[in-house]
Amino acid sequence: MANEFDPDLPSNRMVFEVRRDNSVWPHFPERLEELMEAYGLSEPEKEAFRDVDVRRLGEMGVHPYFLPQITRLFHGAARNTSTSAAAEAYRKSFGDQIVEHRKK
Amino acid sequence: MAEFVSIMGMAHAPGVTGWIESCPQEEQDAIQAGYEELGRIMKAARPDVIIGVANDHLLNLPLKKPPHWRVDAAEDWHGPAEFFKAWLKQPGYHVRGRPDVADTIHRIASADGHNIDKGHGLLFDDNWSVPLWYLGYDVPIVPIHMNCINPPVPTPEECVAFGRTLRRIVREELPADLRVGLIATGGLSHEPGGPRYFTMDDEFDRWFLDLIAESDAERICREATVERMNAAGGGGTTELLAWMVVMAAAGGEKGRPTFYVPSAEMRCGIGATVWERFA
Repeated sequence: MANEFDPDLPSNRMVFEVRRDNSVWPHFPERLEELMEAYGLSEPEKEAFRDVDVRRLGEMGVHPYFLPQITRLFHGAARNTSTSAAAEAYRKSFGDQIVEHRKK
Repeated sequence: MAEFVSIMGMAHAPGVTGWIESCPQEEQDAIQAGYEELGRIMKAARPDVIIGVANDHLLNLPLKKPPHWRVDAAEDWHGPAEFFKAWLKQPGYHVRGRPDVADTIHRIASADGHNIDKGHGLLFDDNWSVPLWYLGYDVPIVPIHMNCINPPVPTPEECVAFGRTLRRIVREELPADLRVGLIATGGLSHEPGGPRYFTMDDEFDRWFLDLIAESDAERICREATVERMNAAGGGGTTELLAWMVVMAAAGGEKGRPTFYVPSAEMRCGIGATVWERFA
C-alpha cells in the first residue's frame, strides 16, 4: 500500500528531526557518519545513505515522502527542477523504474 | 453568528514559487494567473480570519499514531521553516494567528469526537507558504495540519464529517459578524517518493476537479477513495482529502474549478476550485 513505512526505523527519526534542526541540516553531508551513529542506523541503512540510494531506503522502510527530501539534504534544495542534482540523484536511485511524464 | 465569505481548494506544489521559471511560458502564465485570481477572490471577500486545512508533510505530527488533525493556537508564525526556504525560493514572512478561533475549533471538534489535538507554533513548508504567497499575509490564519500520508489517514467520510463540524463551528460558535475565509491546500496528483516522482495523472485530476465541483459528499466518499487517490500518485494525491473538508463546509453548494495545469516541471497537477455560495 502507498505510504507504508516503518515509523520505528532509525532513518525515519533521523530525517524527521534533522529537517527541524537548523543547526544540523545545513551540514548534513559532512555530519552524516556522526548522525547515523547517534540515531543508531543499521549497517544496511548506513550503506544506503552513503550511496544516496533512496530506492533502497524506501525498501527498508523509510517513508516515501522523505526520499526526495533526502536527496535535497545531500545536494541542496534550491532550484529543484527535474534536472537538478537532487532530482538526478533520485532518478539514479530508481533507475529503470522511473516513469517519465508523457503528455496525453 | 460568523459567516463564510470565501471557500477554496488549491494545489500547493513547491515549484510554484521555487522554480516556476523552468516551466514552459504558457504554463507559467496559466499557473500564475490562476493563483492571482484566487488572491483577488480572497481579498475581495474581506475575511477577518482564514482557516486553512493542509497536509503536515511529516514535519510536525508524530510519526507514530499521529492525530488526524492539529489546529494551531499560536499568536503568530514566521515561515517557511528554514529547511524549506531555498526550496520555495521565499525570503520569509510573518503572519498572525487567532488563538481564540483555534481554541473554539479544538474544543468543539473534540467534543464532536474528531481525532484532533492542538499545537502551538507549527513549522510551515509549502503547505501554507505557497498559498500565502498569493493570498497575502495581512489576514490572521488558523492552520489545521492534517495527516494525509501516514496510514491510516482520515477516510473521506471522516473528512466530510470534520468539514460539517467546521461549518457548524463557524455558523454557531464563532463570534458574531466574523468573516471567515476557508482554504484547503494540497494535491492534485503527484508522487513525491516512488517511481512516478516525475509525472502525474492529469486524467485523474480532471475527473477529481469535476467531482469536487459537484459537491456530492456521498459520491465523493464512494468514488474518491484513498486507494483511488494513491493509484493516481502515492505520497501526495491524498492531500486532496483536505479539499473534501472544505467542500463539506460549503454545505453542498456546487464549486467552480478555476484553473488546471498538468505541469511536468512542477511534478504535480496544479489547479483550484472555488465555492462562491455556502448553502
